[in-house]
Amino acid sequence: MLPSPRQTRRPIPAAAVTSAAFGTDFLPVDTPPLSAAPQDWYWLYEIPPLRLAVLFIAAFVGFYWAGCIFLRPILRQFVKYTTGANDIVGYVLSCFGVFYGLLLGLIAVTAYQNVADAGANVTREAAALSALYEDVSNYPAPHGQNLRWLLRDYTRYVIKYAWPLQRRGVIPEEGTIRVDAVQEELLSFQPVTPAEQILHAEALRQFNHFLEARRLRLFSVTSGLPATMWYVMILGAVLNLAICWLFDMRFITQLMLGGILAAYLGTMMFLIFDMNQPFRGDVSISAEPFEVIYERMNED
Amino acid sequence: MPGITPTDLAPRLSRRAVLARATTLAAARALAPATFVGCSMGLPTKAPKVLVGLLHSQTGTTGGGGRSLRDVELHAFEQINKAGGILGRQVEILAPNAGSRPDRRIKLARRILDEGAVAIFGCWTSASRKSVLPVMEEAKRLLLYAVQYEGNESSPSCVYGGMVPNQQILPALDWLESPAGGARRRILLVGSDYVFPRTAHYVTRKYLAGRDLKVVGEFYRPLGDQDFSLVARMLEELEADCVLNTVNGDSNEGLFKALAEAGVDPDKTPVISTSIAEDELRSLPPEQVKGHYAVSCYFQSLATPANREWVAGFQEEFGHDRVTDDPMEPAWCLVHLWKQAVEKAGSFETEAVRQAFRAGLEFAGPGGTVRLDPKTQHTTKYCRIGRIRPDRQFTIEWESPEPIQPDPYPAFAFPGWKCDWTAEGITRGAEVSLDGDL
Repeated sequence: MLPSPRQTRRPIPAAAVTSAAFGTDFLPVDTPPLSAAPQDWYWLYEIPPLRLAVLFIAAFVGFYWAGCIFLRPILRQFVKYTTGANDIVGYVLSCFGVFYGLLLGLIAVTAYQNVADAGANVTREAAALSALYEDVSNYPAPHGQNLRWLLRDYTRYVIKYAWPLQRRGVIPEEGTIRVDAVQEELLSFQPVTPAEQILHAEALRQFNHFLEARRLRLFSVTSGLPATMWYVMILGAVLNLAICWLFDMRFITQLMLGGILAAYLGTMMFLIFDMNQPFRGDVSISAEPFEVIYERMNED
Repeated sequence: MPGITPTDLAPRLSRRAVLARATTLAAARALAPATFVGCSMGLPTKAPKVLVGLLHSQTGTTGGGGRSLRDVELHAFEQINKAGGILGRQVEILAPNAGSRPDRRIKLARRILDEGAVAIFGCWTSASRKSVLPVMEEAKRLLLYAVQYEGNESSPSCVYGGMVPNQQILPALDWLESPAGGARRRILLVGSDYVFPRTAHYVTRKYLAGRDLKVVGEFYRPLGDQDFSLVARMLEELEADCVLNTVNGDSNEGLFKALAEAGVDPDKTPVISTSIAEDELRSLPPEQVKGHYAVSCYFQSLATPANREWVAGFQEEFGHDRVTDDPMEPAWCLVHLWKQAVEKAGSFETEAVRQAFRAGLEFAGPGGTVRLDPKTQHTTKYCRIGRIRPDRQFTIEWESPEPIQPDPYPAFAFPGWKCDWTAEGITRGAEVSLDGDL
């Protein structure tokens, strides 16, 4: 069974750890990780998607062709004198291809599911925020205005500062300060009339929904496939191509046919890589739900 | 014998060898961008950055004011970054939450500086400033402090952007004593129990010694306390005809509630507040505060084109019901004065920036032009007295004709004390006891 997003969380990147040392209330504005984490090869996400796809394909095809030149002559020694070697290699490749195809397919679905779940959490958070904003708008002064300001400030922070950090794979814990301020103001309101009591109870309920969705969003910033799974995928791709080197055929034909397979493997890897991080790459979640409600808040 | 051509001397390459070389070259070309990042893929370059700290309380008793200062400073730096940054560097902000907790502030200031911040903009109360200053002095970095304070202080590691008593309280006392202010004669001093109110009241007592306006009493409550029921009784028993209010933070809610419940009439016994601005008025019921006064260097209602443009810009960014007020305007000016100094110095080094102060930096702020006095590292200020309106804004009743020079050590209160950071620094005078002559 493939791991769930929660199970596949990576360690928190260095910048987030640094922030946590400040009591999870630091605001690095447009900040890169203060020291690069050893596992941070995410610079690849900075490359435009088309170029990245070309890079993946070039890497796989290049690897295959290089193997054709340097390793094929050695590997072919093993099957050179076997009768019907191509048939045997073909059976092995088919069998291997089924297992590997299944693995790649399931991983691709999981990666997409990760993105979809994270997107749903973002929408839930924005919806709860919007509902909370509407609820507190009916609070008496000054609580209503104070809370509206605080919620607007939180939304602005998410759009302007949290999202760019998320796109770099950094957990923007700093919104905690703003959430604390909202909570402080929310709890300082003492409802008097029954109507206020109902309103306050509903606002607190929305606030809890909001907190839950926010935490899920933050968890999903670093969610992704574990390193082991990547190693298995890469090993599978290498073996796939290595089996192709065993075929006995014209060199140019080998380059062409194997190259096509390698190119498609590269494309699959690119797709999984791009979907692997919900907030990074071309297939990622935008701040649009927050932008929509922020616009609405400012219209008010 | 056939002639030997150069081609014949070249090593013979098989088709496979040619293909092998071509493939290796192609693979190397394809993988080069991944190996030598940024060489040919047009990868985003990392713009040079400089780190600045914003150290404000964003929750707790002074959280409201702290958040407003954080916002206006963020706004200023966002604009600066948009225009290309300072000395070609983008300003990166660290803004932790001091949470109105003294123990936390010192720790956070140290952490910010350890992260490499070249300066810190922050602090609200004098207690917070005084607790952070030793850290700044030890690290030889600048604290840029935007809130009005009590004076009696000058640190080479601090730029004071707020008003000192000779720019705020003393003109207000003169005004109260004058016919325009109602020719008041008996004043009650009410404050929070910490260094600013204690020192401000000391300066007030010294200033009013031998004047028509007499101090009839003093009253203090801890920061955050809401119980001011005694004040109304004191007003009556001491026959005070005005109040100087140096209460800070949300304690003002308790004070004005107590005054309103006791039926204190602002026309007969006005309260003139030093730490109430538009931001605080949001939390104060208008029916409790209207008609009372505040003394400040800036009010949002100031009718100048520069102010209107600034207010509109801030509201565009943070919401059309947001307000601007006194500490926010000096905070804005401080960011720009610091930027000017850095650019003049051509460096973020504290000593070079301090040397640049000597050039007499000026900034046309929303409240008028402010000048940084290199001797005291304070700024010149207009003094304005505003009357609170029911719409939580101020009607400006009086304004100083020109900016007032800062004097952190008024001679009548701190004899022998002066400071000149362009020369010998602080000249120490006689030790004074803040409540020695109560």
